[in-house]
Amino acid sequence: MLVFIFRRLLVAFSVAITVSVVSFMLLHLSGDLAISIAGPESTAAQVEQIRIDFGLDKPMVYQYFDWLWGAVQLDFGRSYYFQDTVMGLISERLPVTLTLGALALALATVIAIPLGVIAAIKQDTWIDRLALTIAVIGQAMPSFWFALTLIVIFAVNLQWLPAGGNESWQHFVLPAIALGYYAMPAMMRLTRTGMLEVLNSDYIRTARSKGLNESTVIFKHALRNAVIPVVALAAVELGFMLGGSVVIESVFSLKGLGQLGWDAITRNDYPVVQAVVLIIAVFYILLTFLADVINAMLDPRLRVR
Amino acid sequence: MSDATGSNLSKEQLLLPAVPEWRRMMNRFLGHRGLLMGSIILGLIVVLAILAPWLAPHDPYLQNISQRMIPPVWHEKGSWEHVFGTDKLGRDYLSRLLYGARISLTIGLSAALISGLIGTTLGVLAGYFGGRVDAVISYIITTRLAMPVVLVALAMSALVGGSLQMVIILLGLLLWDRFAVVARSTTQQLRDAEFIASAKVLGASTTYILVRELLPNILSALIVVMTLEMAHAILLEATLSFLGLGVQPPMPSWGLMISEGKAYMFFKPWVIAIPGIALMVLVLAINLVGDGLRDMNAPEGRN
Amino acid sequence: MKRILDVKNLQVSLPTPNGNLRAVRGIDLQVNKGEMLCIVGESGCGKSMTSMALMGLLPKRAEVTAEAMHFDGMDLLSLSKKERNQVRGMRMSMIFQEPMTSLNPSYTLGNQLCEGIIKHKKVSKDEAKKRAVYLLERAGVPYPEKRLDQYPHQLSGGLRQRVMIAMALMCEPDLIIADEPTTALDVTIQAQILRLIRELQQEFGTAVIFITHDLGVVARIADRVAVMYAGQVVETASAQDLFADPQHPYTKGLLNCIPIPGKTLPGSHLESIPGVVPSLIGELKGCAFENRCNASTGECCYRSPSLENHLGSAAHQVRCPIATASFQEAV
Repeated sequence: MLVFIFRRLLVAFSVAITVSVVSFMLLHLSGDLAISIAGPESTAAQVEQIRIDFGLDKPMVYQYFDWLWGAVQLDFGRSYYFQDTVMGLISERLPVTLTLGALALALATVIAIPLGVIAAIKQDTWIDRLALTIAVIGQAMPSFWFALTLIVIFAVNLQWLPAGGNESWQHFVLPAIALGYYAMPAMMRLTRTGMLEVLNSDYIRTARSKGLNESTVIFKHALRNAVIPVVALAAVELGFMLGGSVVIESVFSLKGLGQLGWDAITRNDYPVVQAVVLIIAVFYILLTFLADVINAMLDPRLRVR
Repeated sequence: MSDATGSNLSKEQLLLPAVPEWRRMMNRFLGHRGLLMGSIILGLIVVLAILAPWLAPHDPYLQNISQRMIPPVWHEKGSWEHVFGTDKLGRDYLSRLLYGARISLTIGLSAALISGLIGTTLGVLAGYFGGRVDAVISYIITTRLAMPVVLVALAMSALVGGSLQMVIILLGLLLWDRFAVVARSTTQQLRDAEFIASAKVLGASTTYILVRELLPNILSALIVVMTLEMAHAILLEATLSFLGLGVQPPMPSWGLMISEGKAYMFFKPWVIAIPGIALMVLVLAINLVGDGLRDMNAPEGRN
Repeated sequence: MKRILDVKNLQVSLPTPNGNLRAVRGIDLQVNKGEMLCIVGESGCGKSMTSMALMGLLPKRAEVTAEAMHFDGMDLLSLSKKERNQVRGMRMSMIFQEPMTSLNPSYTLGNQLCEGIIKHKKVSKDEAKKRAVYLLERAGVPYPEKRLDQYPHQLSGGLRQRVMIAMALMCEPDLIIADEPTTALDVTIQAQILRLIRELQQEFGTAVIFITHDLGVVARIADRVAVMYAGQVVETASAQDLFADPQHPYTKGLLNCIPIPGKTLPGSHLESIPGVVPSLIGELKGCAFENRCNASTGECCYRSPSLENHLGSAAHQVRCPIATASFQEAV
């Protein structure tokens, strides 16, 4: 188990490094950063000055290692636009996004798993079909549009919840619904297929032959095995949700990491962009790693390896 | 229990009169409600998009300040002149919607083709050669999955400047992961199949085996992924355009239409409802086709 | 001798896209206390369906009817769901064909062994564990205490089947249904498991319905035998009678398929029964075995035979008028 964790950690770390290289290169090769920062109305001399000020005249490899050296010490430099260090900005914004992500995931799980279980138990009934319809429609809905619709209905027409900002817990409700709905269909479907597969398995027949109550059969024997892949998916979905927070946070003007990223992108604030990309990627990597470990703990067959 | 039903069923099927293959597929196609519905809706949207220049009642770019924000026809102040109303610049919403379908479909199809090409190549190589090639390509896939797509796409299109071509290339370069994963696993399953072995024995080149023997056999799985990625690309384009970093005005991208209507949505909700529902219907249709195709490829009766 | 199970005219049908699959078409079964009844037949003859119907484990869409389905005086079909659960597991239990997949991979063996007895007999965890250890030992599982904390994947197939046997005995049931419990095992282990089942059956005085397709197995363990074909019992007799004096052409055919050590010469032709089993969808006209029978006459095509006493004894019954008639002529 320890060897397994160590090897996975090693891979996770190297993937993080690779992501940082790729995102660094993508940003630096897509255009001249100095021109972007200086803006369209700047003179050649101004651009040159910016190039020197920001260290963009140095070789790219040098720039990368300089940045990476800072990054491992959690120093991502200063923001070009905001009057703060990148790290200061991130430590201020990250809790908001993590709260949002956790709420959204909790919401998605609380709806998706029971719905998937019911759909599987009541396979081919109207409940099953309703659940699948919700899932199919959910997968087709653009998240930003769903977010806007939520605002129109619940913030403007019904006036139940605020439309934007992050002052209180109420401000997190609509964003969490909008973000969570996005992860719900996939989790629901996986729970359903997992449950169907498990319910047809031999060991469920054995459990039934022991005369156990149907609830024991479903909750003790079936759910635990069906939910193992869903846990992995949930972790991965949380990673995706952190990435997707860009859209939702900007719609709800929630001051989180995603909105910081978007602000930075529109203002050519590259140190911030790079740091946000890396941090979201690192979270994704950590979450998939965590999923593997939880999987291994839930499934005794994996534990010995 | 399973042996009792299983063996008799198969025997029963053996005794059924021979039905031509296409006939059987046709029956399954017609029998699959989702697939049928999805295909009809998708077909309709494609036809509307192709015929947009003839069907659109107005020029989608023609601004008319005196005709701003006219509500759609079902609204009490609506008129048949502008069935879906007009936007803040007085442009006919229906015409923009029809032309917007062209953008969504073009982007969906081209981005899925580009990413399909990249992903399939990587996946087939990894699955067929295994070993070190597989390790390297799997690592690349893992890395790609770790990169936040929306954020990277936003950052890059901000640098390069948004345009239709840009969005296509960007999404094509970003959305290949699922193709690679599926191509890899299906190739692994087929790698040791007899028809591959016999082609090897006959001295066929590796390229020939991969392109002529292997590819046709994994194609059906790839087409399913293709539909999913088309839907994905269409949604992402709308998202990028909504955030102002995708297709640029005055093009009638549905995402852009929602973005432009955002300021009016509190009092005139149809300005975001109409393009949003259009997007949803299109993506829903594509997903239904994809799910249906997957069911058709799966063994009989599986869900 | 006390009768523990009495089934009359059991019918099981399953809806399929091609029509109603009538897997079991009117079966009568009697099992006495402490008796080993073997049900033999090729795959698809409805023997597994019968066992699942007795246990009440068929999917909901399956339709089960019977004139009588009495278990120790109780009518199984009229029991409530809760009462049925109580009977199943406590008074009748089951051993399955696939030991590799019949145990839940996520729970320890101790947990799975004990949950039934804790639920049905309200014993404490310690008592349940004690019994589990005792039965594991009796079932020939080495280091029984240690096994309680192990997971199924840590055991071989043969050991898992021993665990399944111990599990079936946990509540001291009156009847165990063993559905091809040795089919998935290696030949050497098969023999051990067979012997174990027979031993434990005699030691605990449990009645066993042993389902198999292998007449060799039947010869070794059965008290009585029911031969099934196409959802019906075609012949039933004591094991001795059946092997010494088979009456139904299908039974005879089955017996001819087995090589006999010392009698069947190496390299000689081994018999097989030509043709295929008829489809069980819809009604069958005439005798189900007619198309494969070498003794069939024109009448067999449209007259469905019934199960008749052989030699006037209910202990040996045959579903073939020709077999019974030829005997009568001989007298």
